[in-house]
Amino acid sequence: MPDRDSAGWWELLARGEFAVQRCASCDTLRFPPRAFCPACHREGAHWAAIEPEGTVESWIVNHQAFTPGGAEPYLVVMVRLAAVPGCFVYGNWRGAREPRGGQAVRGVHTRAGDGVVLLDWRPAGP
Amino acid sequence: MAGVGYTAFTRDSGVSTLTLACRAIMAALDDAGLGPGDVDGLATHRVGDSVAPTVVGPALGVHDPTWHLDQFGGGSVSHAVVGQAALAVAAGLAETVVCYRAVNARSEFRMGGTGRGLPVSPEIQFQAPYGYVAPPQQYAMYARAHMLKYGTKAEHFGHIAVTQRASAAKNPRALMRTPITLDDYLAARWIAEPFRLLDCCLETDGACALVITTAERARTLRRPPVLISAAAWGGGASHLSGGAADPTTSAAAALAPRLYAQAGLGPSDIDVAELYDCFTYSVLVQLEDYGFCPKGEGGPYAVSAGRLPVNTHGGFLSEGYVHGINHIAEAVSQLRGDAADRQVPGAEVALSTAQPGYILPATSALILTKG
Ligand SMILES: [Zn+2]
Repeated sequence: MPDRDSAGWWELLARGEFAVQRCASCDTLRFPPRAFCPACHREGAHWAAIEPEGTVESWIVNHQAFTPGGAEPYLVVMVRLAAVPGCFVYGNWRGAREPRGGQAVRGVHTRAGDGVVLLDWRPAGP
Repeated sequence: MAGVGYTAFTRDSGVSTLTLACRAIMAALDDAGLGPGDVDGLATHRVGDSVAPTVVGPALGVHDPTWHLDQFGGGSVSHAVVGQAALAVAAGLAETVVCYRAVNARSEFRMGGTGRGLPVSPEIQFQAPYGYVAPPQQYAMYARAHMLKYGTKAEHFGHIAVTQRASAAKNPRALMRTPITLDDYLAARWIAEPFRLLDCCLETDGACALVITTAERARTLRRPPVLISAAAWGGGASHLSGGAADPTTSAAAALAPRLYAQAGLGPSDIDVAELYDCFTYSVLVQLEDYGFCPKGEGGPYAVSAGRLPVNTHGGFLSEGYVHGINHIAEAVSQLRGDAADRQVPGAEVALSTAQPGYILPATSALILTKG
């Protein structure tokens, strides 16, 4: 599943971290991982650890298994990352109730059935 | 545009996409009063699910086309194919081009929900592990964002589905012709909330073809010609992980100004619009992004009495889903005045649009005018 641009990102996630790329030339943050900075068009980046925090932009409740082995219903949330302007990430929802628009959320590292570490989301706070 | 042709729209054609393509092309050529011997260009788009011009040409005895196009892509490039054919004709590379799209999208290659990932983007790796893979899920996600930001309601989506079904009831080609009510819409089973079954287009086996030639030649042929007054390509910000700050705006917002400028026309000049309706929400957002109502008011506009006639054939929701080209063919019928019971009286200018760039940041559109 990881490709040559993303392998490092998945390794960090598997270690319980959460990072995006910071351009080595202009400091612009970017995700998903890729070689070129869309702002300054140069190659080169460092991993920048960021808090897995954001707000709920949208969500869907799936009533059929869209991938093999899935159990429905399941909820996928679209999160606007606080640290990276204009960047959305997706994950499964680990809240007791349905999300609300704009709700503050925090990422939770979870180990999927096949051993891959993923990032799910829950309401922020204790 | 000198001819349009269709196969029947079904759920199981029982034949190959090559056969579908040949049938639709022969029908379109017959509509124009032409034959395969007149064809010197072929164009299609596909995503590994259909036959190339290099297969279809020889099958119809067209052995040495002077131009062809085999565009990779789905609904976002459906109208770009016709735009490129028009450029090839204008440049003199070909005189008579057939554009086609042939799919067994129900019986052979289903677009979504089968676990067949998007073949086009590395970003799927950040979505698929969460069970987020299929177009109805992605469009449902953007639809909810629009509901949260602008107060768009399920009833707005439902009205689009109900209205298009009423149009399909007048269209002998349509797969789904039994009228539905808003209650039927609301009672339909959930697919991915906020989308119900009736928010989603049909999965269809079928093909459609168009004949494009010079305006001079088209005027000598069997049918009244329809002119391509504008063809535009658009990008806009990506709605995948990397990109857009506002998921409630589609790539059509970037494309629309240059499309209208090319034609020297504006939204108020459009008599009929065939808007890409893979899902109800895509109609609603395009009503906004093509300038028929202010941003955020697509829902109230869609249910308003005086709104523009949209998807007069029933669209992908009710006629069938041939990935964009059947929208163009319906626009041609409307401008020729041969749309029978569903004819928009006096239609002279039509807008027809491709998938508005929500899956990848690309879209395309045409403005067609009565010749
Ligand atoms: Zn940079």
